[in-house]
Amino acid sequence: MFRKLAAAAVAAAIAGPALAQDAYVVGLTGALTGPPASTYAPAVEALRIYIDRVNAAGGINGKTVNLILQDDSAEPGKAAANAKKLIAQDNVMLMLNASLSSTYAPMVAEAKRAGVPVLFASSVCPKDVYPPADPLLFCTTAFAANHDSRAVLSFVKETAKEPVKLGLAAMAIPISRGEIDFAEGLSKTMGMTPVSKEIIPPPTPDYTPFATKIKDAGANWAYSWAPWVTQVRTLEALRRLGWQGDYVAWAHIEAEGELARLKDGQFYVVGATALFQDALPIHAEIAQAVQKANVQYPPQQMAEGWIAGMVVEAALKATSWPPTPEKLAAAMSNLNVDTRGLRGGPIAWTKDNHFRTRQYYRVYRWDPAKASIVRVKDWTAFDVQ
Amino acid sequence: MQLAVNITVLAAIYALIACGYVLVYRVSRVLNLAHGELMMLGAYLLLMTATQFSSHWLAALTAAVLLSLSTGVLVYVFLMRKMTGEMVLAAVLTTVALGILLRGAMVLIWSAQQFYPAQPLQIANVAIALPGGARISLCAALLVLTTALVYGALLTFLRFGRWGVRMRAAGQNPLLAAQRGINLHAIYALAWGLSTLTGALAGMLIALDAGLNQTMAIIGLKAFPAALVGGLDSLAGALAGALIVAAAEILLINYVDPLLSEVVPFLVLIAMLIVRPWGLFGTREELDRV
Repeated sequence: MFRKLAAAAVAAAIAGPALAQDAYVVGLTGALTGPPASTYAPAVEALRIYIDRVNAAGGINGKTVNLILQDDSAEPGKAAANAKKLIAQDNVMLMLNASLSSTYAPMVAEAKRAGVPVLFASSVCPKDVYPPADPLLFCTTAFAANHDSRAVLSFVKETAKEPVKLGLAAMAIPISRGEIDFAEGLSKTMGMTPVSKEIIPPPTPDYTPFATKIKDAGANWAYSWAPWVTQVRTLEALRRLGWQGDYVAWAHIEAEGELARLKDGQFYVVGATALFQDALPIHAEIAQAVQKANVQYPPQQMAEGWIAGMVVEAALKATSWPPTPEKLAAAMSNLNVDTRGLRGGPIAWTKDNHFRTRQYYRVYRWDPAKASIVRVKDWTAFDVQ
Repeated sequence: MQLAVNITVLAAIYALIACGYVLVYRVSRVLNLAHGELMMLGAYLLLMTATQFSSHWLAALTAAVLLSLSTGVLVYVFLMRKMTGEMVLAAVLTTVALGILLRGAMVLIWSAQQFYPAQPLQIANVAIALPGGARISLCAALLVLTTALVYGALLTFLRFGRWGVRMRAAGQNPLLAAQRGINLHAIYALAWGLSTLTGALAGMLIALDAGLNQTMAIIGLKAFPAALVGGLDSLAGALAGALIVAAAEILLINYVDPLLSEVVPFLVLIAMLIVRPWGLFGTREELDRV
């Protein structure tokens, strides 16, 4: 897979300027390697497969899409260098980010100087895409600070049969800590009692010390909004300590495979993307494309990147030839993309809202009786204001 | 009681990793900054053998251990041997380059996915109840046991084994050792092999306990302060250093702020460097030479 990504990157780098006149040129900087790559690389791979399909089917408005991939290893310095290269050398009209939030500032600064729109695809949505949105920043990623914790804590409140003593776990990165701080405050207003908040450094060889504190604090529910590794290892450490409470976490792209691995009936994942368990026609389409492309990642991890591909296709389609970053940004500010069930509703952007006007959440868990993943709660909509 | 178990497990992890740093440094004065990556490679080798040998966990583990040992020897033969006679700094920088190369290669081969080698090996990582209401996972208990066995074996080997004595001699005075007929290249290759083996064992057991992804190499670096605190040329020091760093880390997580766990190993290290730069059990003259 990475050989293909590398080959695509090299080919695009050589052919980029030449193709720029005949193609829509889109650049991406992402964590294709490095510690957090497991969250981002599958999404980038899915996007690449999607764009390859679009090109194979004749392109968009009769033109091909030249997707240039750059690895930033989740390092801000590399992301800045990538952004400079994509803008100055490749003349991209759209930049995508699939990396840690620490890469945003340098990349966005470069993009704004050049007036190039930025799409956050699989990386967490920054607040600048919420109303009133920055004119150049857009986001398709499922997870979103503040909104997610509202949905999760609403679910906990509905589900809990006794007063909730909440244990919280975050990774020691700004976005995760901020969200867990927000959840701590919100939980109090919802009548819950936060009893423990663990900020866990990445990487940690043993999660047991943190889990011990959550258990000893008397938590009967635990909530983690962090990269998958922190979420799931905290849960596993809690279970090994004999903790029998309910655990709720964000449904990252790894969730479906991990629910089946853990087989824990009290482990809930809340997400904004339909799991393959729902067996939608588009799931079959993705699975077929992934199989054909012969990549290392399972189809279950591809939906996030696929949605980004759908949105890029729709945005480029709405941009008349010859395209410019200004035309594209204008088209993106009035976009409505049907995700064919992958999300609870469309990705709808307006002039003031570059996140989505309504965010939908579903809850899943493993059902030991049925020996399969089951939907605990169907799409619940939250207005984004 | 759980607190004591948590300290023991973390100390065992750090100690098992740290002894790899010590073995190479003690013999060749080279600081192996690719140790974390070699440790991660050991875990990926287990993943590979686990897929090959499926349910035969002992065969998979044995094959992975042998492959790791061979990898260490090959690293010396094909890379570090060329650094013989060069400045120590050049050798250290070579290990940095090796680490970068290994990280890239591992992503290319195994992708960035999270893996669980315990699954193909059908190892159920059950929790074991201990007195005082404490619990420990099976793999964590194995890690503690392995650390004890590795240290026992290494200390015995270095004290009484023929090759162990040669290793000590080569570390103390390579010129004199060579004049006495000791094959220095064989000694260095053995040190690299054993160092990679112990690191790989740590990687394998961590992977069996909690899974495997690209972040493992950084865990290797977190154990580095333990080796320095104990004294870079002392195995017993690495053990003591690991215990001190782990205890400080766990106690601060428990009683002060979990966030401190990230900086504690390095705070302990700085404190030690101020008070006793050569570490608890390190040799002062060795450090002066550096």
